[in-house]
Amino acid sequence: MDPVFSALSLYKKRKFEECVTTCTELLDKNPFDQAVWVLKMRALTEQLYVDDLEAEEEGIAEAFMDNETIAESARPGTSLKNPGTSQGGSTQGYRPWTQTGRPVSGVVRPGTQTARPGTMEQALRTPRTSKTARPSTSQSARTIRLGTASMLSEPGGPFIQLSRINLGNYASKPALAKPLFLYILYHENSIRHALQLAVLATQACEFKDWWWKVQLGKCYFALGLMREAEQQFRSALRQHQCIETFLRLGRVYIRLDQPLSALDVCRTGLEYFPKETTLLTEIARIFEGLNNMTMSVKYYREIVTEDSTNVEAIACIGMHHFYTDQPEMALRFYRRLLQMGLYNAELFNNLGLCCFYAQQYDMTLSCFQHALSLAKDDDVADIWYNIGLIAIGVGDTRLAGQCLRLAISADSTHAPAYNNLGVLELRRGRVNEASAFFQAAASLAPYLFEPYFNHSSLSHKMGDLQASYIVIQKALEAYPNHVPSQELLRALEKHFTFI
Amino acid sequence: METSRSEYSNGIPSRKLIPKPNEPSAKEPELQTVESRNWLLHRHFTRKEFGICKILIQEELERTRGKHEYANYIQGLILRQEGKIQESLDCFQMCHSLDLKNVDYIKQVARSLFLMGLHSLALEAYLEAQQASKVPDWDIYHNLGECWICLGDYTKAKESLRQAVQLGHHEHSYVALADTYKMEGEIQAAIDIYKAALEITFRAAPDSAQLATSLGLLYLQEGKYQHALEKLGGALARDPQCARALLAAGAMMQNHSDYDVALSKYKIAAQSWPESPALWNNVGMCFYGKKKYVAALSCLKRAHYLSALDWDILFNLGLVHMATQQYASAFHFLSAATNLRPAHAGTFLLLAITLRHLDDPDNAAEAFKQAGLLSPMDASIPLNYAVFLESQGDLDGAALQLERFQELAQMSPRLSSELVQTATQLSKVLNRRLMSSNGSKVEGVDGNDKSNMAIEVEAQVRVRNPPVDSSPESLPRNHMADDEV
Repeated sequence: MDPVFSALSLYKKRKFEECVTTCTELLDKNPFDQAVWVLKMRALTEQLYVDDLEAEEEGIAEAFMDNETIAESARPGTSLKNPGTSQGGSTQGYRPWTQTGRPVSGVVRPGTQTARPGTMEQALRTPRTSKTARPSTSQSARTIRLGTASMLSEPGGPFIQLSRINLGNYASKPALAKPLFLYILYHENSIRHALQLAVLATQACEFKDWWWKVQLGKCYFALGLMREAEQQFRSALRQHQCIETFLRLGRVYIRLDQPLSALDVCRTGLEYFPKETTLLTEIARIFEGLNNMTMSVKYYREIVTEDSTNVEAIACIGMHHFYTDQPEMALRFYRRLLQMGLYNAELFNNLGLCCFYAQQYDMTLSCFQHALSLAKDDDVADIWYNIGLIAIGVGDTRLAGQCLRLAISADSTHAPAYNNLGVLELRRGRVNEASAFFQAAASLAPYLFEPYFNHSSLSHKMGDLQASYIVIQKALEAYPNHVPSQELLRALEKHFTFI
Repeated sequence: METSRSEYSNGIPSRKLIPKPNEPSAKEPELQTVESRNWLLHRHFTRKEFGICKILIQEELERTRGKHEYANYIQGLILRQEGKIQESLDCFQMCHSLDLKNVDYIKQVARSLFLMGLHSLALEAYLEAQQASKVPDWDIYHNLGECWICLGDYTKAKESLRQAVQLGHHEHSYVALADTYKMEGEIQAAIDIYKAALEITFRAAPDSAQLATSLGLLYLQEGKYQHALEKLGGALARDPQCARALLAAGAMMQNHSDYDVALSKYKIAAQSWPESPALWNNVGMCFYGKKKYVAALSCLKRAHYLSALDWDILFNLGLVHMATQQYASAFHFLSAATNLRPAHAGTFLLLAITLRHLDDPDNAAEAFKQAGLLSPMDASIPLNYAVFLESQGDLDGAALQLERFQELAQMSPRLSSELVQTATQLSKVLNRRLMSSNGSKVEGVDGNDKSNMAIEVEAQVRVRNPPVDSSPESLPRNHMADDEV
């Protein structure tokens, strides 16, 4: 068989390693065979190719050295930074908030963790899950991992020496330039070289190829040059409408914290591609980021009518029902996920909670048993915490206390568990322990208002007005609309401002 | 470089170039009086412009080497408003050391101590202030009262507060005094205090909606519904958004089965206080009264979600579930309620009835006995027990319980007619069955259905000024760590 043909066939069968070795042999014989060269390049790229749309995550550096911000304090409902300000959203009283200062979401995805927190300290403390840390550099964690492929020493030196290559030569040959670009971007992970090539190539084709513009935009985006990226994407969209371009332009606006513009872009995209689920997902996510749950769920519902196996949509709708007092409905959605073959601790945990609140008591405990047996290290604490809640629900405070202690032993930074332990201690009349628990919870999780409020009201009762006064102000910082906190502050202010 | 060398020799400055200290200047120094800028401080302070105020104070203190009385005083007040009590205490102590005779400073020192929770020290300081002051001062008496309350000596507290009230007619004193009486359980005395307070502050105080509400709640506690309604109405006339008053008024309407009016009150209250478990509990029971069970359940469940450790809500949930004949769910809620509060007879009574419907007569009997033990004067318990025993075929036991009911019924004159009816029916049935000693099942079952209703009144409304502890928050963590393909 012709070795070139067999290499091509291996490539089509996605046996990239073998394809690469065949190509290497061929290139040893004839180093100037362009077809084989391109094939090897594509095989190498293909090995490492990821959908980088979903991989994007904002690092701490970007969140703080952010010079694209338009307004320091944006108007309510126009910024992803302070979701609490939007109208008609869920409040902390009903739907708990995560460490990143926004309501819990149905799925964990890169976007939900991108918090833009208030202080550097909080940002450093905010984990991605309970164990791994958030990326602190300008490029996303996954991109950095990609870069390691270029660091592997290859026998006989690297395939292409980027520093030696004459980019201008290749830029004018579209058949070579595009694979080369992808190779540089994904395999070598050298955005600077990729950008150079893209600039030359787009000039060579006289700015008529939309593909190069999208790639330029990608490079600019990765380098943090948002306005340039926006220009390129817009210009590409004028030539050719493509879902990916719409999504990338939307991402640019999200990074610029202009969610309304991002929504506009996605809606325009929907005019060209009606009912496209990726665009609908993007819109739903933005609405969720704005804490506009009703709109978000509306779009998720549209997704489900189009694609009835969309995990994210089903999970988010289920979550919404759970926190709007419809556990029975939520149960149906989560059951659907189970039917689809999802089998993990989180799902069983949610099923257990739904069962409990829908009063299907026989199912509750078995669900939690499943959840515990499936749980990985970072979920165990949450599951024990929820079992603690169930124990409180059936009035068994001793069991509740034990569960909460187990939660803490699994994850010693589980703030809600500390808070609930404090409340239980308070019920048993142990004031000092309760106060210590509340303080521990508050120091671990400044985004929760409950520990602050509990601590403050306890101090108020004990006569330590000073502590109470200081702490209640923090509670109101975390949740400005909490009525009992406001009343307590008003009562305390009488003592403090009265001359 | 040249000049510097001429000035210094071996690092020692040459003598003639040392500037003479205190060289008399040509002009007379302008002697500023210490108080010259007090007016400015005062103005900024009263406008709450604390930033400017602090800069000014800093200047003044530097100028006077920290001996500026008024600046220290204002700084203390500002620091107190910022919550830095220890630092403000230092300022006031400085003031006190500058002017030992000034009563105000002693009072402020004492107040700082009080705010820090050092009640006995505060008490001593106030006593000192009382000695220093020439005229009797209501403020000192008031604070003495507060200190005594915190130290747990109510008689002395009352004494001081009474004097404060006589001297000052101040709302805070009245409230504190009434609270003391309430804590000692003398509701009537507390009502009198509130009445007096309302008469005096009627025109002046803008905050009197709170006073009126408190008075209304006290009346409610005493069972004087007419008076309570009057006061609450008055409070609402002054402040239509007052959530406490709205809640209490709604609860009263609810007690009179006027559910629509109650709901309209709750609707207003819900706008200012959407997360109150008490509110949702009452709304739920309104719906229950209107026989809309599904709505009632969802409201009660929301209340339960907001305050999971509240046994009232669990009790009501059990009641509504019984009305919808979901006895298993009712059992769960009621058993949770008994776990959280084991000393409530009504819960055990309901539990007994549920157990009866769940076909567990042994435990039902236990529950009836427990209920009877907890509340031996409640007439409805023996009656329900009698009905239960009759259905189990234990006619002698039933007759005994019925006898007990009749004894209790004679003691408590205001018994609901429903109870009496059930009792007479039951006695008829019993008699008939005892006559025809065959014991064949007679159609005497009709008494049973009604007996469930006998204790409803208890369940309905608890006007609860919400408990202080925020419930352990239900934070179901729904992390769906999913792959998205």
